[in-house]
Amino acid sequence: MPGELSRAAAIVGATEANEIGYPETPKTSLQLHIEAIKNVSDQTGIPISRIDGIFSAGWSSELAEHLGLHPRYIDTTAVGGCSFEMHVHHALAAIHAGIIDVALISHGEAGWSARANKGRGTGGFRGSGDPWSPGAQFSSAYGLSGAPSNYAHAMTRHNYRYGTTPTDFAHIAVVTRQWAMLNPRAIMFSPESNPGGGPISVEDVQKARLIAWPLTLLHCCLVTDYGGAVLVANPEIARSVRTKPVWIAGAGESMSHSNMLEMEDFTATSAAASSATAYKMAGMGPEEMEMAMIYDSFTVTAGITAEMLGLAPRGEGFRLWQNGDAAPGGRLPINTNGGGLSFNHSGMYGMQLLVEAYRQLTGTAEDGVNGLTGKQTSARSCVVNGTGGSLSTTGTLVLVAD
Amino acid sequence: MPYDKPIPDPSPHTRPFWDGARAGKLMLPRCTNCNRVHWYPRLICPYCHAREIEWIEGSGGGRIHTFAVQHRAFGGWATETPFVTAYIDLNEGDRMLTVLRGVDPTKPETIQIGAKVRVEFEPASEDVHIPFWRLA
Repeated sequence: MPGELSRAAAIVGATEANEIGYPETPKTSLQLHIEAIKNVSDQTGIPISRIDGIFSAGWSSELAEHLGLHPRYIDTTAVGGCSFEMHVHHALAAIHAGIIDVALISHGEAGWSARANKGRGTGGFRGSGDPWSPGAQFSSAYGLSGAPSNYAHAMTRHNYRYGTTPTDFAHIAVVTRQWAMLNPRAIMFSPESNPGGGPISVEDVQKARLIAWPLTLLHCCLVTDYGGAVLVANPEIARSVRTKPVWIAGAGESMSHSNMLEMEDFTATSAAASSATAYKMAGMGPEEMEMAMIYDSFTVTAGITAEMLGLAPRGEGFRLWQNGDAAPGGRLPINTNGGGLSFNHSGMYGMQLLVEAYRQLTGTAEDGVNGLTGKQTSARSCVVNGTGGSLSTTGTLVLVAD
Repeated sequence: MPYDKPIPDPSPHTRPFWDGARAGKLMLPRCTNCNRVHWYPRLICPYCHAREIEWIEGSGGGRIHTFAVQHRAFGGWATETPFVTAYIDLNEGDRMLTVLRGVDPTKPETIQIGAKVRVEFEPASEDVHIPFWRLA
């Protein structure tokens, strides 16, 4: 039986900034936020002034001020790329409690333009942190350089424990690229959109430049610009606006650690716990999910997460991609936008997951061009899972079409 | 040549570890209530939540839990690529991160998870000696 919060609110709109990816003119993170927010207001017909709850990864007071809002609920949870799935969870609870009617969840991240802007315009959330933090004292001495350098350790352990190989995980990159080739907004849509775009083979993935063995470049996500915004509203509003609602049937969040030093099992994440909460609230199970949007910062992230979400047995997540289930036309489409691997990844990718899930479940995901059929699926339910930090934090949503 | 890689900045709370490191000892925090060793040093035991924590001298031995080979790095580490990073299961329990020595980063298939390693300390400054682990 579904829980009390199930379907107490719906996503009523989800849009992107005007320009995403590698913009010719560098953008700021705030610009990407504002473009997406204006677009979601225009999409739904809900005036920005109607927003009474604001949710973002660290930006909420600045955003509310910029928009001239005086919200009743302010949540600025920033725990990495899953923050936005958690924001949906929190908005659901706040709406159910009657505190707010319309929640804005926004993300803007000039992951690409930050280079041209010399680190300015990012919102200042990329600081080096406290020298007395545990990470600074007990990790920083060892030459790790960002996410791939850490995540590589998880693939090695998965290979050891389950007898998998990096080549097994390469299938995830290959299939995700197939989806990107149906999405003209994807960086890797075609050789014309990017010199590295178009089809890739398992061999291409394995022969690509090593970043952190066993991860080659093509096991790793992109670094781009992105802005996205989502409006979550109470059922009454959801039924009255011009856009279709996508119901939040289930939501859950959890974490296993903050520093990778504290990751007990390198082949597992807290998505097992967060998805259990979400499935229980929804009164649905993994076997009822008709598609999945899974944070793919790296191939290993997606493979392990599929296992945690109950979509595949432990040690066998990669098989969903290897056997074509996850591919265009497959039984369980996964990462239909082309993923963080081949579509767009700004640093914190959870918003991209939400926007694509909304599009799929409202039948507005077509991106077919040049005679291609596009990426729209017939799915009516979708499990969405964000992963933040170093496989640290997770937020899971079970979303269903009206 | 002066040490050109990041040097940790000991906090008052972790000072006993760094004092030990300077003397070639691997000092580890242990809860006097549940007797479990934890890493990194806490203000409260992460297992039983007692606040009575003592420092003990560890054996300096452990095993490789998992590893990776870094082909891209910044600062002083940039010129050292490729190098092997590893998480080490301490004999006393819990886990440390390190750059692993005594292994060939160009042949990761020869590095065995579960292999025994020993700690050693490299003077990075007068005050801070950094623990590294080497294949035993």
